[in-house]
Amino acid sequence: MKPSVILIGADKGGVGKTTIARALLDYLASNNVITRAFDTENPRGTLHRFHPEETEIVDLTSTSDQMKIIDTLETAQIKVSVIDVRAGGLTLALQALHDMGFLEAVKEGEFNFLIFHVLGSSIASLEEIEEIAPYVEDAQYFLVKNHVNDTTFFEWDPVTHRKYFEKVQTAGELTIPKLNEIAYEQVEIAGTPFSTFVADKTAEGDPAGHSFVLRGYVRTWQHKISEEFDRVGLLGLVAPLAPRAPAAAPGKPGRTARER
Amino acid sequence: MAGHSGDVFIVCSAGARTGVTTTARLLTDYRLFSRAPVAGFDTDPHEPRYGALFPDLVKTVDVADIKGQIALFDRLLAQDGVTKIVDVWHRGFQRFFATVQDIGFIEEARRNGIEPILLFHADVTEAALASAQRLHATWPALPMIVVQNEGARPLGPDAADILRRYPAQHKFFVAALPGPLANALDDPSLSLSRFLLAPPTNMSIVVRAALKSWIVPIFTQFKSFELRRELESSDYLR
Repeated sequence: MKPSVILIGADKGGVGKTTIARALLDYLASNNVITRAFDTENPRGTLHRFHPEETEIVDLTSTSDQMKIIDTLETAQIKVSVIDVRAGGLTLALQALHDMGFLEAVKEGEFNFLIFHVLGSSIASLEEIEEIAPYVEDAQYFLVKNHVNDTTFFEWDPVTHRKYFEKVQTAGELTIPKLNEIAYEQVEIAGTPFSTFVADKTAEGDPAGHSFVLRGYVRTWQHKISEEFDRVGLLGLVAPLAPRAPAAAPGKPGRTARER
Repeated sequence: MAGHSGDVFIVCSAGARTGVTTTARLLTDYRLFSRAPVAGFDTDPHEPRYGALFPDLVKTVDVADIKGQIALFDRLLAQDGVTKIVDVWHRGFQRFFATVQDIGFIEEARRNGIEPILLFHADVTEAALASAQRLHATWPALPMIVVQNEGARPLGPDAADILRRYPAQHKFFVAALPGPLANALDDPSLSLSRFLLAPPTNMSIVVRAALKSWIVPIFTQFKSFELRRELESSDYLR
């Protein structure tokens, strides 16, 4: 299986990159895709807090950490790597990947490279698209609209849309739906993956006693996100040979595009 | 119709004044009359009539608020052997079922061995029928009982045809009470379960007789439904 790197980032802070990284890790795990993750929010590491077992905190500007990620892509047992880029660091991360020759290797077909560009609600996000366009030619480049915190997106009038999108070819758009604020907050407090919260477990695997209502909201939200990932055929892009998950219970994530 | 211990009865209608609270009240009183555990929930936070009838048994919740949702749905899923009755305020009907769907309540209840049962109140409008059909389309396996309350919303001479169009497995009939007797029901201190066990001595004999002849067929329907459910779940009759 060809190694895959999924980069999640934005040049604007507070757009929910780590939430999407968490949702993605849950989705991949529920589909039996073993994944490793790198959290570039050095040294704090929000993603690491929720997914400590598979996440390592790294500094993308450090050569040794770059080697830790890129040089191990071929040799690591785990073939899918998720990189959660710290706020404001998307262009810098892409520049670093370019400088170290990773983008060239992608062009030559050595690796799959996916970019989840998380958009904020302002026109500044559209300007980001222009900035990173030179780096995404050989990537599967997805624009992600994150409504998890009820972001209201500006209306993209056709003229504005064309102005920015003609500069870049995207693999598609992903829409992350809103999650009830209290449910979101409770998962934050629990400090566990969304799937662990839904399963009513603590990080240690003990019964957590979370409210069913809140778990229900999170489960439905995860299900909708899974549908989005299925819609763009994400599993086929990162893990074409991955075994399929058992049939998901109603309201649970886990169906793949190939099952439809 | 008390069903099995732990069942959840969702008493609802798409429109106003169809007798939802009366049904919730009758079912609660039937459980009390049978000396069986019961808990109720009134989803009208502004004028909780059901709550006023059973202040010790019925909790008023606002399902538009997440705290109310937690107070309601988490309790409905408790495996405590208590039958629960939810009086769905007609103005909150859409919101209630949207929440049920959003949180996957029906599926979770079944996983926990709890059977939700809908008591849907019919009226002559196409809107009511369409609402019932939408619920059935969303949860095809959810048992639905269509309620005809002749005192609240008479269906008229076409009643049989109207009811036949509802996607319901069972029918439940509540007869009309003559006006003066219906007024007796408005008294929140009148307990129908206590009335059957020991009618108040200060009540007119005529009222007593009429009320009894109104309640008994209703409780008989509850009992009949209860027995049917027990037979259906019997290991010996499969």
